[in-house]
Amino acid sequence: MRHLTRPITLGLLCGAVLTAGCGAHKDASGGGGGGGATSSAGKTVNVYLLPKQKGIAYFTSCSVGAEAAAKELGDVNLVYDGPTDGAPEAAASLIESWTLKGANVICVSPNDPNVLAPAMTKAKQGGVHMLTWDADSTPDSREFFVDQATSEQIGDALVDTMAKDIGGADPVGKVAIVTATLTAANQNEWIKFMQERLKKYPRLQLVAIKPCNDNQTLAFQVTQDLMKAYPDLKGVFGISSVAFPGAAEAIKQAGKSGQVLVTGLSTPNNMKPYVKDGTVKSVVLWNTEDLGYLTIYAAEAVANGKLKPGATTFHAGKLGDKKIEGDKILLGDILVFNKDNIDKFNF
Amino acid sequence: MQQVTKSDRAIPAKRASPLRGVLPSRQEIVLLVLLIGLMILAGSLSPTFLAPNAQMGLSTHVWELALLAIPMTLIIVTAGIDLSVGSTMALCAVVFGLCFQAHMPLALAGALTLATGAAAGALNGFFITRVRVHPLIVTLATLAAYRGVAEGLSLGRPVSGFPESFTWLGQGTVLGIPIPGLIFGVAVIAVGLIAARTPLGLWLSAIGYNETASLYSGIAVARIKMWLYTLSGTTAGLAALLFVARRNTAKADIGTGMELAVITAVVLGGTSIFGGRGRLFGTVLGVLLIHETREFVSWQWNRDELNLIVIGLLLILSVLADSLLTPKSRR
Repeated sequence: MRHLTRPITLGLLCGAVLTAGCGAHKDASGGGGGGGATSSAGKTVNVYLLPKQKGIAYFTSCSVGAEAAAKELGDVNLVYDGPTDGAPEAAASLIESWTLKGANVICVSPNDPNVLAPAMTKAKQGGVHMLTWDADSTPDSREFFVDQATSEQIGDALVDTMAKDIGGADPVGKVAIVTATLTAANQNEWIKFMQERLKKYPRLQLVAIKPCNDNQTLAFQVTQDLMKAYPDLKGVFGISSVAFPGAAEAIKQAGKSGQVLVTGLSTPNNMKPYVKDGTVKSVVLWNTEDLGYLTIYAAEAVANGKLKPGATTFHAGKLGDKKIEGDKILLGDILVFNKDNIDKFNF
Repeated sequence: MQQVTKSDRAIPAKRASPLRGVLPSRQEIVLLVLLIGLMILAGSLSPTFLAPNAQMGLSTHVWELALLAIPMTLIIVTAGIDLSVGSTMALCAVVFGLCFQAHMPLALAGALTLATGAAAGALNGFFITRVRVHPLIVTLATLAAYRGVAEGLSLGRPVSGFPESFTWLGQGTVLGIPIPGLIFGVAVIAVGLIAARTPLGLWLSAIGYNETASLYSGIAVARIKMWLYTLSGTTAGLAALLFVARRNTAKADIGTGMELAVITAVVLGGTSIFGGRGRLFGTVLGVLLIHETREFVSWQWNRDELNLIVIGLLLILSVLADSLLTPKSRR
């Protein structure tokens, strides 16, 4: 009999684990999904929102706005998921799974368009509406791009903010850029327009553009190296939500707060301590909750045929009418956080 | 403690070569029951998950893992282990990317990639058989080292834009079956036949049960092990090619954590982590169970963070199964 008890014990154990797992999850999905799938008469639209990386503040705040939009619209069943390590190949796997699962719209913030475009094109051929948001992919792999701000707006805002923070009518000094990766499409566009805008300030000299591979520790080291290489460095642009705090921390630890100025793109909560101790004067961003909100409104409109190629404006709930340029839906304004307003934002 | 009992173990007379045999073992039956249970659960919660096109589409996510599990089974049967498979994959992918960037013909680049894998595996084999360091230590070192070399060579930059004639290898289908699946099918049948029809299977488990005794029985222990680790490295090279073709990107961070998934699949499949006992059939079941569980959890609950938890739970389950199902006398 003994030889039988072992497999039976094991079988029971497995069963218990499985049941426990399912029980726990049913509760979780019951609480979370209840908001999205309200019992409206029309058919529900299955919308999948894919961030570059799940679990970082920037995208979490986008998802808050997205959930609010789904609740308002009522007919949207929203799923927010993405790779916790930001690996683009994992994101591609998710797009494939969702396509097979019967998604109506998938909104992608591609971490690497080269990796995601094939999966996106395949999903589009399979009848799924594809949108990009936050970052764009190749135009043939999606219908619309929900653009937080044009690259030109961002590039200009970054350079203007730095110039203003350094001060004077004709600001002087050496500046450097710490970017995400050398292949990040967004960042490269911004750098292009930053270089354009810098011509307006002839005495600001761009001395280096360094990648940090979207790693905060590396951003810290890169900034330390920059300060060593250029002892008279006046400003650092940290142009990803990871590069910025890394650069600020390096400057703070070097005791050069206020001497070497940092500005860049990040969420306010990330940068609050640095803004308060004076290492950072201004943080440039857009309203991330509005970005998520607009994306879901666009997704619903595309799925229900309310938004078609060629449209020039689009009504997005509380945001009002938004401009469409070609296939780009523009969120619009840049938001600059500083000592005076940063406490009003919590994300 | 394990060492003491291990040298006393004899190969059980009844099932001379555990790589052979037709009837499923107890652990394999447990796995089958679990798989069927999972399918019933999946079918009741989300019927579309079981649709043939969904299963075929999702299968593209598992072939690299499945391929690597073949040599890993053979290695664990000899009481060895190869922790470096994921890093070797990354190294091979980076080599392929650099060759492609240097405008090398793709066939040559592919051959060089496989050679890199073979060399990486052979280096593991060299340290294990000639320098006589435990495989756990050797491959733990190369797990870090190969990844480091991959990062150093690529400087963290991904290579993309491979031609369609190449990406077809990872994305195309023949008669509705993904090409990597066909490659896996051929490989698993070939290795299975070799293990079952030649003395090799018996030799492998003999080495796993008692290496010293095997040596004195005239088995070329060192040579066999050398070949096994080289095979493992080469397979990692092949898996890298398939991955690059499927995702159109070659970079230094692919295959991270792959060794964990592969070893979990093999041990879950009934291969004893202490060597001697194991079958490819069980490994195939282990791979299937991991794949289906992972895909279903992601399908049903949309929580990417659950992925690692699933692997961890299955690994615990597999070790538990191993100790519960194996009578003490045979461990």
